[in-house]
Amino acid sequence: MTAAALARSFAVGGAARPLASAVLGIAVALGTAALLVLLSGRNPVVAYLALLGGAVGTPDRVAVALNKATPYLLTGAGVALCFRARIVNIGAEGQIALGGLAATWLALRLPQAPAVVLPVLCALAGAGAGAVWGGLAALVRLKRRVHEVLVTLLLNFVGVLIVGEVLHGELGEPGAGFPQSPLLPAAGWLPRLVRGTDLHVGILVAVAAVVACHLVLWRTPFGFRLRVLGASEGAARYAGIGAARATLSVMMLAGALAGVAGAIEVLGVHYRLIEGFSQGFGFAAVSIALIGGLSPLGVLPAGLFFGFLESGALAMQRAVGVPTPLVSVIQGLTMIFVLAAMALSAARARV
Amino acid sequence: MSVETALVELLAAAVRIATPLFFAALGGILSERAGVFAVGLEGMMLAGAFGGVLAGHLAGSAAAGLAASVAAGVLLALLVAVATVRFGADQMVTGLAVNILAVGLTSFLLRGFAARGEAATLRVPVLAAWPVPGLAEVPVLGVVLFRQPPLTYAAVVFGVLIAVFLARTRAGLTLRAVGENPAAAFAVGVEPARVRLAAVLACGALAGLGGAVLSLQQVGTFTDAMTNGRGYIALAAIIVGRWLPGGTLLGCLLFGAADALQLRVQSLRLPVSSYVIQMTPYVVALVVLAGLGRSARLPAALGTPFRRE
Repeated sequence: MTAAALARSFAVGGAARPLASAVLGIAVALGTAALLVLLSGRNPVVAYLALLGGAVGTPDRVAVALNKATPYLLTGAGVALCFRARIVNIGAEGQIALGGLAATWLALRLPQAPAVVLPVLCALAGAGAGAVWGGLAALVRLKRRVHEVLVTLLLNFVGVLIVGEVLHGELGEPGAGFPQSPLLPAAGWLPRLVRGTDLHVGILVAVAAVVACHLVLWRTPFGFRLRVLGASEGAARYAGIGAARATLSVMMLAGALAGVAGAIEVLGVHYRLIEGFSQGFGFAAVSIALIGGLSPLGVLPAGLFFGFLESGALAMQRAVGVPTPLVSVIQGLTMIFVLAAMALSAARARV
Repeated sequence: MSVETALVELLAAAVRIATPLFFAALGGILSERAGVFAVGLEGMMLAGAFGGVLAGHLAGSAAAGLAASVAAGVLLALLVAVATVRFGADQMVTGLAVNILAVGLTSFLLRGFAARGEAATLRVPVLAAWPVPGLAEVPVLGVVLFRQPPLTYAAVVFGVLIAVFLARTRAGLTLRAVGENPAAAFAVGVEPARVRLAAVLACGALAGLGGAVLSLQQVGTFTDAMTNGRGYIALAAIIVGRWLPGGTLLGCLLFGAADALQLRVQSLRLPVSSYVIQMTPYVVALVVLAGLGRSARLPAALGTPFRRE
């Protein structure tokens, strides 16, 4: 099955089925992960209780989880739209890297800018950098027909290395001993949403972006073109919808969202650019888009779930020593389950 | 060091670095010629690297390590095969899912048994070079080709075997038929699902060996996500080699040379930053793939699940 058939299976299946298969998939994955915990000589019930407490136990933990979910929502929504245009976009890692880089660069250039304006400008710079990187991948895909999985992956490596390069050069903090930029001016920091916690306004931006992507997909001509493309390339061609333009636009849009996510990570979490801060987001975005049923609104629960899972897993590791990579195990297993369920329902729909 | 010895050293390093890529790429060729995208190569390699070090460490023998590498690669491949061949799941995304799973599983198992969840240190002796008597003394070629560790020779042997298998045997023809036109193959009595299952499992075994090259032959330990994109570079090498073992070998050597060059240039302390130099292999891969562009022809049924109607 191709990404096209993947998109089609959702057009056919409606909204209930992806939700059911995602929930069932997560249940199966959590069960399998519990077996792993048991195998490592720990009590899975104790471990999962520690995870739950770490995820939602206190307002502080909820704040951490929502901050973690923020980049997942932004990148997941963009990647979900890409799936609609038959594009498997794993480029979020590089786009976040460059988005964060652009935001850092601008914040360090404009230390005198007022507090409300600077974060907005930095986020726009991040969006621009991400869009350029996503657009570059789309162009190589379209003009040279190199598969987007390879293009976006290779560009991830390059993007991350560009961040390393500038952190050892003009943006690096002298004498820090670690590849990072100096602390950004406080005017650029994202305001806190809840006093006394780490929760910043990024989550509002992310939720707004998810809703906007939903509206784009279902209420605009561009979204209509994406949906026709996803349903049938033949129909799209018949309707005069150019796959190339839609591909370029959707990749740039997803890149811009990832770039904003990068800016938010820098301005809201780290307050500086740090080497490796974007690691793993490319794959995470794909899994969240998939588990969210390739629909922007579905990304909302999927992204939040993994945000809470990750924050809970950190607490679980501290409390009972169960290592955090368990999150990736759960993520990978859920994906495989959802993919199999989607293929089954698509096959049934055909018969 | 003279320019000549530096060049010879560079080529020898290129061959060493190309070895794990070539193992994985050979597996990928079998899988993709049978019609199943091999995006899971990265995860299968990682599983192989981990299984090899774990078993090598526990059993204290390289043979046990190799066997476990193969087993770990096959196990992950089985998951791919069941999802894509049995259920018809999307091959690309299933591959990505398996890669995420492999990163999580290996990192978890590396830590899971320590009291505080810290990463265990598994060490195994690296496989030493086997100079081929006589040939190793040949100037230039001796150093480049005949003073390599054992798995490098094994990769060449597998390459020849698979080339012959695909081009000259009935089973190889069947495999290619399933990748080009599964319905026609089915019509003459071949069961495409069975052929694809076998191809994907063989892919897992070879990719597992590729992982073993990394952990048992090159490093002697396992670190998180140590494949670092090599499975994807192997996919690129397959495209460069147009799904043929010979051409794919050249692709692997090209990427191996780019990596070897990058490592050597870094040690020269040129005025260029090491980060820019580290980009070389990825930029080379992008440029080569873009240069090939439209000429690459995929196996016709690659990515399409086969269903009996």
